[in-house]
Amino acid sequence: MHSVTAIVVAHDGARWLKETLAAVLRQTRPLDRVVGVDNGSRDGSGKLLTEAFGTGNVLTLPRSTGFGEAVHEVLRRLPPAPGQEWVWLLHDDCAPDANALRALLGAAEQDPKAAILGPKLRDWLDRRVLLEMGVTVSRSGRRDTGLEPREYDQGQHDGIADVLSVSTAGMLIRRDVWDELNGLDTELPLFRDDLDLCWRARVAGHRVLNVSDAVAWHAEAAARRRRRIATSDEHPRRLGRRNGLFVLMANLPFGAFVRSVLRNVVASTLRALLFLLAKQPANALDELAALGSVIGRPRRLMRARKARRKGRKEGWPAIRRKLTPPGAALRRLADMVQGFLAGAGPVDSAGRHHAAADRGHEEDGDELLTDSGGVQRVFGSPGVVLGLILAAITVAAARSVLSGLLSGGHLGGGALVPVTGGASDLWRLYVEDHHVTGLGSQTWAPPYVAVLAGLSAVALGKTWLAVGVVLLGCVPLAGISAYAATKRLIPYTPARVWLAVTYALLPVATGAVAGGRLGTAIVLVLLPVYMALATRVIAGSRRAAWGFGLLLTVGTAFVPLVYVLVAILGALAAVSFGGIRRGVRRSLVIGLGTPVVLLFPWLAEIVREPGRILHEAGLRDGRLAGVGLGPESLLMLSPGGPGVPPVWATAGMIAVALAALLLRRHQMVVAIGWGVMLFGLLVAIVVSRIGGEAWPGVPLAFAATGLLMAAGHQAHRIAEFRAAGGLRRLGAMLIVLVAFASPIAAAALWVSRGADGPLRGDLSDPLPVLAALQSEPGEGTLLLRPRDDRVGYTVLRGRGPLIGESDLEPPEEPSARFATAVAGLASGRGSTYVETLASFGVRFVTVPGPVDPVLRRALDSQPALVRVSLSETGGLWRVPGQVTVPPPPATASALHRGWLWAQGGLLVLILVLASPGARTKEPAEADYADVPMEEGPRGRRRAKEDRVPA
Amino acid sequence: MRRLIENRFGLLALVLVALGALYGVAHVSRPTPVAQARPQAVRAPVESVTAVCPAPSANRVSVVTPADPERAQTAGSATLTPMKAAEGKSGEDDVIDRVGLLWQRDIAPGGGPLVVDATGSMAAGLESAQTARETSGTQRGLAGVRCVEPGAESWFVGPGPAAAEMTLYLANPDSAPASVSFMVYSGEGPVLSERGTGVVVKPGEHRVIRLRDLAPSPLIMALQVSTRSGRVAAAVKAVLGEGRGVDWLPVAAAPATRVVVPGIPGTAGKRELYVATPGERDTVVRIKAVLEDGSYALKNKETIEVPAGSASSLDLSTGIGGQPAALVLESDVPIVAGLKITGTGARQDVAFTAGAASVDLGSVVADGRAEGKQTSWLVLSAPFAAATVEVRLLPTKGAAPAPVEVTLPAARTKELRLTPPKGSKGGFGVLVRPKPGSGPVYGGRVLDEAARDGQLVTAQPLAMARIWALVPPTIDAPGVVLP
Repeated sequence: MHSVTAIVVAHDGARWLKETLAAVLRQTRPLDRVVGVDNGSRDGSGKLLTEAFGTGNVLTLPRSTGFGEAVHEVLRRLPPAPGQEWVWLLHDDCAPDANALRALLGAAEQDPKAAILGPKLRDWLDRRVLLEMGVTVSRSGRRDTGLEPREYDQGQHDGIADVLSVSTAGMLIRRDVWDELNGLDTELPLFRDDLDLCWRARVAGHRVLNVSDAVAWHAEAAARRRRRIATSDEHPRRLGRRNGLFVLMANLPFGAFVRSVLRNVVASTLRALLFLLAKQPANALDELAALGSVIGRPRRLMRARKARRKGRKEGWPAIRRKLTPPGAALRRLADMVQGFLAGAGPVDSAGRHHAAADRGHEEDGDELLTDSGGVQRVFGSPGVVLGLILAAITVAAARSVLSGLLSGGHLGGGALVPVTGGASDLWRLYVEDHHVTGLGSQTWAPPYVAVLAGLSAVALGKTWLAVGVVLLGCVPLAGISAYAATKRLIPYTPARVWLAVTYALLPVATGAVAGGRLGTAIVLVLLPVYMALATRVIAGSRRAAWGFGLLLTVGTAFVPLVYVLVAILGALAAVSFGGIRRGVRRSLVIGLGTPVVLLFPWLAEIVREPGRILHEAGLRDGRLAGVGLGPESLLMLSPGGPGVPPVWATAGMIAVALAALLLRRHQMVVAIGWGVMLFGLLVAIVVSRIGGEAWPGVPLAFAATGLLMAAGHQAHRIAEFRAAGGLRRLGAMLIVLVAFASPIAAAALWVSRGADGPLRGDLSDPLPVLAALQSEPGEGTLLLRPRDDRVGYTVLRGRGPLIGESDLEPPEEPSARFATAVAGLASGRGSTYVETLASFGVRFVTVPGPVDPVLRRALDSQPALVRVSLSETGGLWRVPGQVTVPPPPATASALHRGWLWAQGGLLVLILVLASPGARTKEPAEADYADVPMEEGPRGRRRAKEDRVPA
Repeated sequence: MRRLIENRFGLLALVLVALGALYGVAHVSRPTPVAQARPQAVRAPVESVTAVCPAPSANRVSVVTPADPERAQTAGSATLTPMKAAEGKSGEDDVIDRVGLLWQRDIAPGGGPLVVDATGSMAAGLESAQTARETSGTQRGLAGVRCVEPGAESWFVGPGPAAAEMTLYLANPDSAPASVSFMVYSGEGPVLSERGTGVVVKPGEHRVIRLRDLAPSPLIMALQVSTRSGRVAAAVKAVLGEGRGVDWLPVAAAPATRVVVPGIPGTAGKRELYVATPGERDTVVRIKAVLEDGSYALKNKETIEVPAGSASSLDLSTGIGGQPAALVLESDVPIVAGLKITGTGARQDVAFTAGAASVDLGSVVADGRAEGKQTSWLVLSAPFAAATVEVRLLPTKGAAPAPVEVTLPAARTKELRLTPPKGSKGGFGVLVRPKPGSGPVYGGRVLDEAARDGQLVTAQPLAMARIWALVPPTIDAPGVVLP
């Protein structure tokens, strides 16, 4: 004979209470007694309770009373009922189904050991969504429902399940068990008290069941912050996390307890860091505060452990089976990474009281919707196919370079020194104060060295791999980036494909590959990204502005001219759009200011020597730039120099872009595109005319970007024309033919000519092996190479030069002395030049083959030089006498150190600001519009801004 | 304006105008391709010279450094040191510090090579030579050779060990060991010999090698002496036998497709040309003689065939005998060349000349004689373009006589008898300097003595004097690591 007492605890829950009370009274198994508790509600909940249950059945308690305390208070006053007495605990926001109680009691009758039973909880609003079917906890104190987010209830989990714990919302508990366990722990006024109670019940030998036939709808008002919590000032998230940890640590046996403390200290720190990265500092603080408040008050914890000592160890094996299995943590991590890549917040907030149900998938590619298996998804995307085709073209064109690389040669030529060394060498070059290379230098290494060091680190420390991928891969990468960047600008996919292919095979791209111009290659890949981000910056997105600034910094470090071009266009944009949208100016300042801040000392040097702005990273060689480039070349976007196709190769795209001018719809975009084109062209002319050795590749890439945008934006009209039929259809075909002629011609010419120019993959190390082996540390090798009636020289110290070392400036006075000595040596007039060289630490003199006979005779006539070897590959002479390696000056520049640290700090900060953060979207705001929001107005606006689609 | 913008062709017209304007700007501003002023090498006096006289025993050694008013006089001296391995210098050093005057000494028989070390102003243009004169025995004849600087590679072209007793003198005056290898190209092809590789000459050491031990059979040969490491001074002496003459082979110009063999005297006697090609292709060498009255292909001797990797000889006595001459040899593959000059008389003496470089910066001859029956001749040729040459004699003491200017029309050879001014005693040095604007000048000095039983003769092609060195413009360019 059962007797059931329902206890409804209400606290500011009038919005749900009415329905809850109606549901309670409508039960098909009538209740024997009902009690309402009003914890000092201010919204009339007490009145509702009184209306439903009658005055005598309602207890009014102070506002700060917790749920457990309220139940205790009721049971203390309530005399025991005859028979097997059950207590049914209900929240004010939890409406049970009419059959719920009957089902619960039915289950209880079947299993005499069952002491606690809970219904299946579904969402209050979306009534099909499952919230809980029994809850467990992970070893790190995380509540785990075992359900997917937003999982619909289709009966998939139905049945009576033996679970670790059930929620107090709808919990049916035997009153004798309650009394035996001393009920809910009043130390836990909210959250996880249910877990604690059930854990203790299981330890005491009772069973906890979840009965799926009993259904209750739960609003989770406190956890979702639909109402203020009066029992504590703390954020529910922190409270939940703290209580979770507390319950775990109080109930674990000693060994597991110690392990749990260690585990949670480490895990919480890590999670706090992740939260910081995700720009959720409040979460990070909660995480740490929760842990701190649990282990920071050991006496409370000890008291709780003491109270639970009985049977804890014996009951542990049974409990352990019910905890979240360890693999779940890994799965959660994988989900997190996936979510981060998809643009969601990297970590969901801790201690949510339910299964993160409102995490929407608003971010999605159309590709994702037509999901049909990973492989098909990947290869079905035009972007991937495009990248693969371009990669194949690149491999075909760069066959000789690649075969050279595969047979152990060094990549180099043109503006690229033979790539030697690894990431650590580059990194040392960047941070060291004094460079021993050459004649020694005190200049700060250019910042692109740091970028390359980072890229090399990604390539497992292999600089040649990183440089090879960036340089040779710039064609497919540029194609992919152009395809991806135009996603929101050009909706017509064939046009994007055409644009991407044409962009990737621009004369600038093939010229950059052939000339070994790493800087142009990188800028070429980044330009479409700039464009895509710029549209979002102009829309006022702050985060896009940080990302834009960061990428612009990278581009500027390699090619400073990029900054000038972008700054001018940015200024124009500020004038045009600044008045229209709020925050545009600020975003622009962020975007354009970031490179200035991050590259400050280096940019200051460039400002001091304005000529350097025209040069990019790498060697400067006049032969690589077509001096006196013809005007037709410039107008056809051909930058001159090695590796560029004939000028007519780009005729098709220019013709199509001119044709786009004739269409009257969307003329604004076309005009802007052409404006960028003309601007880029003008800059290219200026660069090629005043620069001397400068190469107008980057301005022409800018021009091409504008041109392609103008043409690509109108391309969807082709489809209209084709549909129109007749003459128009013919015209459309003709335009398509002309348009695709450009990239196809470029690809064919590139493949037939080969991607190598001055760039080669089979270079040998400039430092002869003998010299490398026989040099003491610090001793140098003088490399002489007569070229154009001049003898060029450089000093190698134990290895070939690194990328970036050519930009270091040697001290002036010793350089002049050294130059005189080299000239004297090459003249063969005798004298003490070799001694001078030896005083600079030169041990070897090498002349790469074929050795110029005049130079060979001059070196052979030097009595102070001993020839070590002479062959077709080169000659090597040795200084047999005393060689003094100049000691490095013992000056550690505090300024440099400080700047490097500051730069690193700024970089991390900007990375955090630019990386996708948490989406603070509030679901169904309209439903709860009257609920006080804890977030300030600023936070909400930010959230909205970040969601502005570009 | 509004109509222009709203017109379908308005924007296109604007863009085309802008493009046209940009084309115009680019066209106008296009720099005319100027011939860039190429950086010129700067002349600078040589500051140190080392030369080795291979076997000065019983020879007269002559050392001279021409004075040059263009050059600031600085302190400097030349020392003559007998080569000794390792130990310090002996007390026999001769120190020479008079620029512009010839220093001569007859060296006592016995002893090894002499090292001439010069620094400072004595170094610029220092020339030294050893000349022996024997009137009887197998060594009868005049035999002279320039003291050579140690180097990495030398070529000698002449008769082979089967035709004459050929001796190779090697000396290493440097402080590092030299690893020397030899290659003999005979009339039958290259001679491979195990003994021809890896001879190590230690610092201060000298070696005398009989070429018969390396290659006994060749009648004619081209010898390449090269070092894998270090430098060596090499010289080859040919003794043809009793009554057939003796002389040193001059160092021949390295293989080239055009070789000029200068300094063929106008005396009568046999002239035998030796040509060798070290390459791997047969070749036909075209021969042109540059004579006093012009430049000709010799009748029936227009060409000589040289099989790959071997040497050939051709008797040119009927073509150029009795005329001062130079030979211009042209071939499709690099060749080396030498020439044997045989004197007249019952007992013969020989002299050798060889392919030489032009003397653009001047040339110095250390040993000139005009005593008794000895006569010195200077044979100058301008095979390609007209040239004017200044010839100045450098006496043993006193003021130098005024220089003589010699005009050489294009493709002509001139023979000059060198006569010292009256009153000067002993020998003299010669400084030959082409005037600016001259074409390439080649030449040789011939010394003969009309002895009763047959003419004694020795010859040497003019070598470019090491007065000036060209200091090339240099540039500190990290890009030199790339080919």
